[in-house]
Amino acid sequence: MKRFGQVAALDGLSLRVARGSCFGLLGPNGAGKTTTVSVLTTLALADAGSAAVLGHDVVAERALVRRELGLVFQETTLDPELTAREQLDLHGRLYHLADRRKRVGEALALAGLEADADRPVRGFSGGMKRRLELVRGLLHRPRILFLDEPTLGLDVAARAGIWEELRRLRRTGEVTLFLTTHSMEEADALCDSLAIVDRGRVVAEGPPERLKAALGGDVVVLTLERAEPRDEILASLGALSGVTRVTHDGVESAEGVFRIVVANGPQRLPELLYAARPFGVREVLLHRPTLEHVFLHHTGHPFELGRRESEGRG
Amino acid sequence: MRRLVEDAGTIFLREWLRYRRDRAYWVGQLAFPLVVVAFIGFGLNGVVRLPTGVDYLAHLASGILALVVGSGAVGGGMTLIQDRESGFLRALLVAPVSRASIVLGKIASRVVASLVLVLVLAAILATFTAVGLPHPAAMLLSVTAVTTAFVALGVALASQLRSLESFRLLAGLVTVPIYLLSGIFYPVSTLPAPTRWLAYANPLTYGVDLFRFGLVGVHELPLVASAAVLVLLTLATTAGSILIFDRRSLR
Repeated sequence: MKRFGQVAALDGLSLRVARGSCFGLLGPNGAGKTTTVSVLTTLALADAGSAAVLGHDVVAERALVRRELGLVFQETTLDPELTAREQLDLHGRLYHLADRRKRVGEALALAGLEADADRPVRGFSGGMKRRLELVRGLLHRPRILFLDEPTLGLDVAARAGIWEELRRLRRTGEVTLFLTTHSMEEADALCDSLAIVDRGRVVAEGPPERLKAALGGDVVVLTLERAEPRDEILASLGALSGVTRVTHDGVESAEGVFRIVVANGPQRLPELLYAARPFGVREVLLHRPTLEHVFLHHTGHPFELGRRESEGRG
Repeated sequence: MRRLVEDAGTIFLREWLRYRRDRAYWVGQLAFPLVVVAFIGFGLNGVVRLPTGVDYLAHLASGILALVVGSGAVGGGMTLIQDRESGFLRALLVAPVSRASIVLGKIASRVVASLVLVLVLAAILATFTAVGLPHPAAMLLSVTAVTTAFVALGVALASQLRSLESFRLLAGLVTVPIYLLSGIFYPVSTLPAPTRWLAYANPLTYGVDLFRFGLVGVHELPLVASAAVLVLLTLATTAGSILIFDRRSLR
């Protein structure tokens, strides 16, 4: 529980993150994501409740937690007057890294900033800054890296670069990634597991695939040449494995439009088509549920981007 | 303890990298006292006779250097607001360094910046005034105490304020009376009774007096009293700024 004056930014939010995984906190602006990260990274005190990062309490064992975590904020936290190299060197000193020089060199190479290493960060583009922040957050090899909206405000190319790096990190399994995002695409693309938050509460939790599958699976819309014999069509499609529901909604026309809810649609599609072939397949569409549907399903309202009154608090 | 010193050293290094590049700071801090001495000091030099026996030019020159030390140090507190605005403060707060080492590093870097300024300015002023460096230890103690106290004042203000504009305004409002009543422009012993007591209650009076002893060799207060006040002031304001920064940075 965390309050800002009368506003409860977090209220009964409860999370569990598996080590070595990529965990995403997905929610619209103002849902309480940044506040959650602030509490977990010892930057804010919760008004009630407790949290542990890597088994260390974030209040009582603050110093231990700080040593083990890395943090990339949505806004830049670089000193604009220092060069990229100085920035990293300073970070290395703050974390007492013995092989500081070597790591700084590697980090600059990883971020593709070798040519700009000795320029003040002030003149860097948004993408360059974010890459620098990312390698700085990793410089001390944290066991958990928090990323607060890591690609907010970046152009497509810069975003792709950050995604690629996060995917690489995820593959190594050496660092737990905890990211917040209001981009469902990002959450879907990067995370092993998600918690969808809205107004300071978790409304759904689990791997993105499972969250989507929980809605009943994919929807295949089959347009057949004719709607009859309807019962026979319904029966033969409904008998296929993975199919949970078949409905017919081709009322107005002579053709038969059948809506089939099926788990794992892409894999079932060949069988479906094979079963439907005797009735003449004219058209087929496969809809996969998105996290948007998941959000709508659990909150009853669409994933709005503009809860302006609390913007920036994420 | 070793970590505290090492971390303070890291913060010191970072602050120093910034000061070194801040040309406006150095030009302003170097030009201002020379302009005051040239435009006011020369004019009053023939008019004013001081009970301390030193000529007014040297009196004002040494006083203005103390003022430069103070105002530069208040700016040290302002860097906290800049760090908050640039976001760098957050990176610092999440790092495994104690709040104490952050404050100590900031103070130490300001003390060194003050010393560099004082030495350069004293060397320039020595060419045409009675300013020199007869008692370096007195100068060192005074610069350390005055810098620390004003950094602490800056930290206290910065912890309450969000914008640079309000910081500048409020810092001016708070510091100008402190400067005026500290013996920078005239010896405080010449003041009438109630105002004189206010001047004696002003810690900067002791800093200016000892500073002037360091640079010109004259003083109007007992040296031991000044030294004692300044040592206490340094300790108290250091502790105070650490406490304030620690309390305000976590919420």
